This record gives sequence, structure tokens and C-alpha cells, in this order.
Amino acid sequence: MPKHPMLFADHWYRIDLVTVFWTLVVGALVAIVLGVVARRLDMRSPRGLQNVMEWAIEFTRSMARDTMPSEQGVNFVLPFAFVTLVYLFVANWLGLIVTIEFEPGRDIPVLHMAEHVKYSLNNSPTENMNMTLGLAILVWLVSHGYGLRHPLRWLKQYRNPMAIIDEVTNPLTHGMRLFGNILAGEVLIEAILKMPMLFGWVPTGLPLLIIWLLYSMFVSTIQAYIFALLLTLYIGHKDFSVAHH
Amino acid sequence: MSIIDPGTMIVSLLGFLISFWIVKRVAFQPLANMMEQRRKHIEDQIQSAERDRAEAERLLAEQRRLLEQTRNEVRDMLDQARARADEQARQIVEEARAEADRLIAEGRQLIERERAEALAGAMQTLSELTVELTTKLLRGHVTESAHREMVSEAEKHLEELVS
Repeated sequence: MPKHPMLFADHWYRIDLVTVFWTLVVGALVAIVLGVVARRLDMRSPRGLQNVMEWAIEFTRSMARDTMPSEQGVNFVLPFAFVTLVYLFVANWLGLIVTIEFEPGRDIPVLHMAEHVKYSLNNSPTENMNMTLGLAILVWLVSHGYGLRHPLRWLKQYRNPMAIIDEVTNPLTHGMRLFGNILAGEVLIEAILKMPMLFGWVPTGLPLLIIWLLYSMFVSTIQAYIFALLLTLYIGHKDFSVAHH
Repeated sequence: MSIIDPGTMIVSLLGFLISFWIVKRVAFQPLANMMEQRRKHIEDQIQSAERDRAEAERLLAEQRRLLEQTRNEVRDMLDQARARADEQARQIVEEARAEADRLIAEGRQLIERERAEALAGAMQTLSELTVELTTKLLRGHVTESAHREMVSEAEKHLEELVS
């Protein structure tokens, strides 16, 4: 498990600096790339990245249409689902691109870093359970905020008490699934990188690493898609603008 | 790290929310607006194309109708003209025939009259000559009354002869 420098490490409100840092970096990256694309929009003859972005929006829209009961709900969820999809795609890939290890050489108590411990400075932000659970809780809050537009129908969904269990398990599995997949990928990468070299120079782990990287890329992409899909699904469940059976 | 850190959770969530807000403002909104605009544009284009097509069809139908109407009118006019021409020709022939008949009748009448006049004249001369001859033959032996009687008798006979 990668070790990260922490702020307020001894308190309950400790903050994982790597996660927070890369959360912001991914946001900035997505904003800059998409912003540049959006600056040069061409309605008549779209080209390059604009096509990709339009495809992504259409993809998200059809995904939302498949899982949500009303077009109004689709329009509501579309920006959230689209940004989340793109964001998670970039975030999940981040840890696969490069691994940075850092040994401080001296104790840095403010960041809870010890002298001879290796710290990982580049991990996907989604590799941290707190980040993904935070996202899942955000989705949960948004879904209920949306559902409460029709308070009576919202209340009616609890005629079946099992729905209350869903309220706990849905966000929990939603966040844990993403976190688990990404963490597994990156932990294994780290483990493969630590494999001893044959004769001191033959990288025995290289084929394994390549295979695992390819698989992780696949998993990262799929997990971003699944998270966005479940996001539309959970918000769609709380879309009471059309009466449920 | 696998323990729940509310601090990390909240701060990274804030980071995500800020990112979300910026990406939505900077990239998603313009893209979505542009796509909506394009959708509307295409819709408009399709609608106007459909409208134009309907208009063209309407105009074509009207042209066809007008052409048909004109054709019918021309045919009617030709038919009428032909009928009138036939009628006129017939009339002219009729009139000519009547005129010819009239002329023939007139000619006959004229011939008849001339002949009658010529005959009458000849008769007159002949009776006078007869009387004169008879008078010369019977000079002095015929009274005035017998002379008149003979003349009239001669005329009567001549008339019988002629007719």
C-alpha cells in the first residue's frame, strides 16, 4: 500500500496531500484541455478533439437516457455525469502513467514523513477510499436532492423497508468499487516494480508489468464508465417526475 | 490510509466540486450550447427544406393545372372556330346557290318577256300588213264596218295561229 505524506496526521481530520493534490491537478488538466477545445468550437465543421468531446457528451446522454425515466432528469444529470466520466477517466489513468517514489532523507514532522520511508507521490486520486466515498456520497446527496422535488413520491419509495438498506449499500459499493479496482491496479504495479532484477540488471518483472498496465488501463476506463453509469442510475432511481409503478 | 479520513474526504470532495464547477463553466456549457444550437439549426434547415418542397410541389401542381386549363381553352376555341367556319361556308354556298337561282329565274323571265314583246310586235305588223293588202285587193268594195270586222277577224285568226 502506497504511503503518502499527510497533513494533521495525528488528528481525525488528517488530510492525504497526494490525493488532494492530484484531485486538483486532474481537475485543472480536464478544465484546461476541455477549455481549449471549447474555445475553438465550430458548429459547422467540428474537428479533432471537439469530435471526441461531442461523442463523449452524446455517449453520456444516451447512457443517461437508458437509465433514467424522464428527459428532464437526463438534462439535469448530464453535466454531472459528463464531467464525472471525463474526470474519472483522467484520474484513473493518472497512476498508470508514472510512478514517483520519494525518500525524504530526514524527518518532516509536519507532513508526517519519516527519514527512511519511501513515499509515493503520484497515485490516482481515486486510489484513495475517502475520495471515492466522497464522490459516492455526493452522488447520493444529489440524488436525494433531486428526488425531494416530489416529496410525497420520495417518501412513498420507503413503503418497502429494503429501500433503506439500499440507501446505505448503494453509495458504499459505488465508492468502494472504484477505489478497490484502482487501488488493486496500482498496488500491484508497485509490487511488480519491486521485483528483484535477475543478475542485478535483467528486469524480470517487465513483461508482467506491461500486461498488468494494459489490463489496468482497461479496468480504469471501465471503472470510470461504471461509476458514471451508476451515477445516472442512482439519480434516475430518485427521479419521481414520472410516477413509478 | 484504508481507514476513513473525513479530512481527506471533505477536502478532495471540495477539490472535485471546484473542478466540476470550472469544467462545467469553461467546457461543458459552451459545448452543450453549441450542440443545442446545431440541433436547432439542423431542425430549422430540415423544416425550411420541407416547407420549400411543399411550396415547390404546390407551384408545380398549379402550373400543371394552368397548363391543362389553357390546353382545354385552346381546344374549345379551335372547336368553336372550326364550327363557325363550317357554318359560314355552308351559308356562303347557300347564298350563292340562291343568288344563282334568282339570276336564272330573272333571265328566264327576261327572255320570256322579250319573246312575247317581239311576237306581239311581229303580230301587229303582220295584221296591219294583211289588212293593208286585203284593203288594196278589195278597194272600193268594202264598207268601213266590214273593214273593221275583217281586221278583227284576221287578228283573231293570227292569234290562234301564233298560240
